[in-house]
Amino acid sequence: MIAFTVLGGYLGAGKTTLLNHILSHCDGRRLGVLVNDFGAINIDASLVANRNGSRINLTNGCVCCTLSDGFSEAIETLLADPNPPEHILVEASGVADVRQLAQYGRAPGMSLDGIVVVVDARTLPAKVNDKYVGTTIRRQLAAGDLILLNKTDLIGDDACRDHLAWLQREYPLSRVLPCRNAELPVALLLGVGSTREPAAMSHGEHEHYATWSFTSEAAVTRTRLERFSQQLDPSVLRAKGTSAAATGPALLLQAVGTRREVSTIEHAPAGTYLVAIGLQDQLDTQVLDRLAADCFSPAESG
Amino acid sequence: MNTIYPARKIITMNPSNPEGTHIAVRDGMILGVGPLEDLTGWGDYRLDTTFADKVIVPGFVEAHAHVMAGGMLQHPYVGYYDRPLPDGSISPGIRSYDALIERLREIDAAMTDPAEALLAAGFDPIYFADQPRLTRHHLDRVSTTRPIYLHHASGHLATANTAMLALNGVTADLRVEGLGRDAQGELDGELREPAAMSLCKSAFREIQRANMTHQAIHYFGALANNAGITTCTDLGGLSILSERSLEAWRTITSEDSFPLRVVQYNLPAMPGAAADFDALADQFVALRHTQTERFRFGGVKFVLDGSIQGFSALLNPPGYYRGEDHGQLLAVPDQLKAWLLPFHRAGLSIHLHCNGNRTQDLAIETIEQLLKEVPAPDHRHTITHAQLTTQAQLRKMAKLGLCANFFTNHLWYWGDQHYEITVGPERANALEPCASALREGVSFSFHSDAGVTPLGPLHTMWCAVNRVTPKGRILGPAERITPAQALKAATIDAAYQLHMDAEIGSLEAGKAADFTILEDDPLNVDPMAIRDIGVWGTVLRGRPCKAAG
Repeated sequence: MIAFTVLGGYLGAGKTTLLNHILSHCDGRRLGVLVNDFGAINIDASLVANRNGSRINLTNGCVCCTLSDGFSEAIETLLADPNPPEHILVEASGVADVRQLAQYGRAPGMSLDGIVVVVDARTLPAKVNDKYVGTTIRRQLAAGDLILLNKTDLIGDDACRDHLAWLQREYPLSRVLPCRNAELPVALLLGVGSTREPAAMSHGEHEHYATWSFTSEAAVTRTRLERFSQQLDPSVLRAKGTSAAATGPALLLQAVGTRREVSTIEHAPAGTYLVAIGLQDQLDTQVLDRLAADCFSPAESG
Repeated sequence: MNTIYPARKIITMNPSNPEGTHIAVRDGMILGVGPLEDLTGWGDYRLDTTFADKVIVPGFVEAHAHVMAGGMLQHPYVGYYDRPLPDGSISPGIRSYDALIERLREIDAAMTDPAEALLAAGFDPIYFADQPRLTRHHLDRVSTTRPIYLHHASGHLATANTAMLALNGVTADLRVEGLGRDAQGELDGELREPAAMSLCKSAFREIQRANMTHQAIHYFGALANNAGITTCTDLGGLSILSERSLEAWRTITSEDSFPLRVVQYNLPAMPGAAADFDALADQFVALRHTQTERFRFGGVKFVLDGSIQGFSALLNPPGYYRGEDHGQLLAVPDQLKAWLLPFHRAGLSIHLHCNGNRTQDLAIETIEQLLKEVPAPDHRHTITHAQLTTQAQLRKMAKLGLCANFFTNHLWYWGDQHYEITVGPERANALEPCASALREGVSFSFHSDAGVTPLGPLHTMWCAVNRVTPKGRILGPAERITPAQALKAATIDAAYQLHMDAEIGSLEAGKAADFTILEDDPLNVDPMAIRDIGVWGTVLRGRPCKAAG
């Protein structure tokens, strides 16, 4: 399964900053970036290894492409690479319907990892009421699993609180996070990479975030995993898990914002591995421990 | 030697010399129009009586069509209305699901390879609004083994049969939102928007690529010729971005038998085309130095919103009458001026696709800013479609020197739907306001947007003159114009919009010998019969090009 993430947001919200932040902190994850916009691709020069037509190869193994021949073709080209990306990231144009774009992430072999929408804290009230783009921006916000209220350092604390509260009230199916320079943990933005240890998340600059994890040698049933995902506490911004017996198909749990999906995948390591990410002061690991015990205890039938 | 053609009547669209009985031509150039004795003084001549009983008008100019008109006809057409084919025959409109199934069964029976997919185009569910949606089960009645893909007229939808879904591994457990489902959650075969449509990969791509073949261009030329068009835009060409497309156009338009002068308006802002618009503007100006008699570079086009019948045009209040508003700009308003500036500065003509009147506000405001920054006294930039143009917008457009290119065919093809569903009675009556544009002094032409509707200036004229719908409504009688005003819009005013009015668009000494040869006089027949006038063909730069069929 190739993970698929859409980055949306109006002109000036900070999408390109966010993209560069992700590309500089992706820690070995091989990303394929599709830029669905006009004009030059603004990748930090320090990251660029070489350019080849509409394709930019980065020093960390990631690639960026423009869409010269349609979306499904661009995805196919990326996947046909001898060393294909494990995660495709789309930088949407400022007026794109991000929800429509996200549907490419639900094609066979793909897994929609999330829709991340960035807004500029300084212009939020004006832009959501703008004559020309107001409805488009509201549509983008409604589609966002995660809404990043960016540039909060450029407005006052009161305004920031008001904006966060307004966004969370208007878009209850999204999770709203404040940030500066679009700096957030990559594991939160892109999910936990498929090839790495579940609990891995770089700390340091992201002391505001906490993780929780759960490991068991036993596989769980789909019903149990679905029950767990549905009861996940709203303080969980992201969760991911796999569960597999020694043979047969495996289960994949993905949660982002308020969206939770359990699907069948071809294989996963035997056992059950779960990881969740949330804000340090909100994520209640004891509640999650209890929920896991409740859902996955052998005595429980299902 | 000169050629002099006598005709039943020659309508020139030259106000100084409006009519004549003879037209003299030398080397593709008009020497004059008048009685024979006014023309013999130009020297030895041959009298060609081919058109002696016919009516000659200036060659029709179509300022908004697409090569897709030809491309789409490489697949069977199954739309609701009759569609002329390149060979001059008519593909009859499909008015019921049963007729659709019957037609597809005939095509299926004629195919030799049982595994080959059947692709058809032109279906539009808006005409079947009183029936349950078309599903894969209807198409399964054609074949349960041959994959079938029905591409809808809007370009945003398709319907696949069960075999097509199975071939592509499209199953009910996929969560793609554009997959249509029945009440039980099973797939119904409808695919909405490209993410879902492209799941049927090879069919989707074959439809997309149909417009890039040589046959598409040949068909386009034949369709235009059959409709009496001598100069036609491909308004949304790709040659600025694609060397392959450019070569195909150059090769085919240089063939002696090609019956059409093509004017390309390129789309610089194709999604994903990482474009430096300054460089593109330079490239475009350079391309104009390579243009030939039958392959011209007019300017650029930007698509700013969707369509009214797709509810994706951006409307000012009170918005859509019924149906959910999916109004969407396709350009970032804060970037639009910067996008247009390089082309404007280079002196290139800009056509802006605006179906919604809110989008048109943006276009007009942006052009006003552009003109303040870089004044251009004779820019002739054009709002194309301009369907919901308001009176205030016309007044502003007149001041700014903007032209309108009205999509008058909508009055017929979707007029009843606009009245009943999309915008409601008042605004349906104000669609394509040709009479108001005349009054306010906005120069306009009208178009087919072919292949959205068929190429056919007599039809677009007929719509502007009569404003009649299939259900017999007259939409906004006050906006009707006269046949003479309509003919002007289809010839000299369209040429003006393309900055070609000194060369084509009227029959006048020194201009290109481009005529359309009609079986009857559009200014004297019953106005309701204008669209039924026979087209013998055209004369393009002095060369007769007889219509097929």
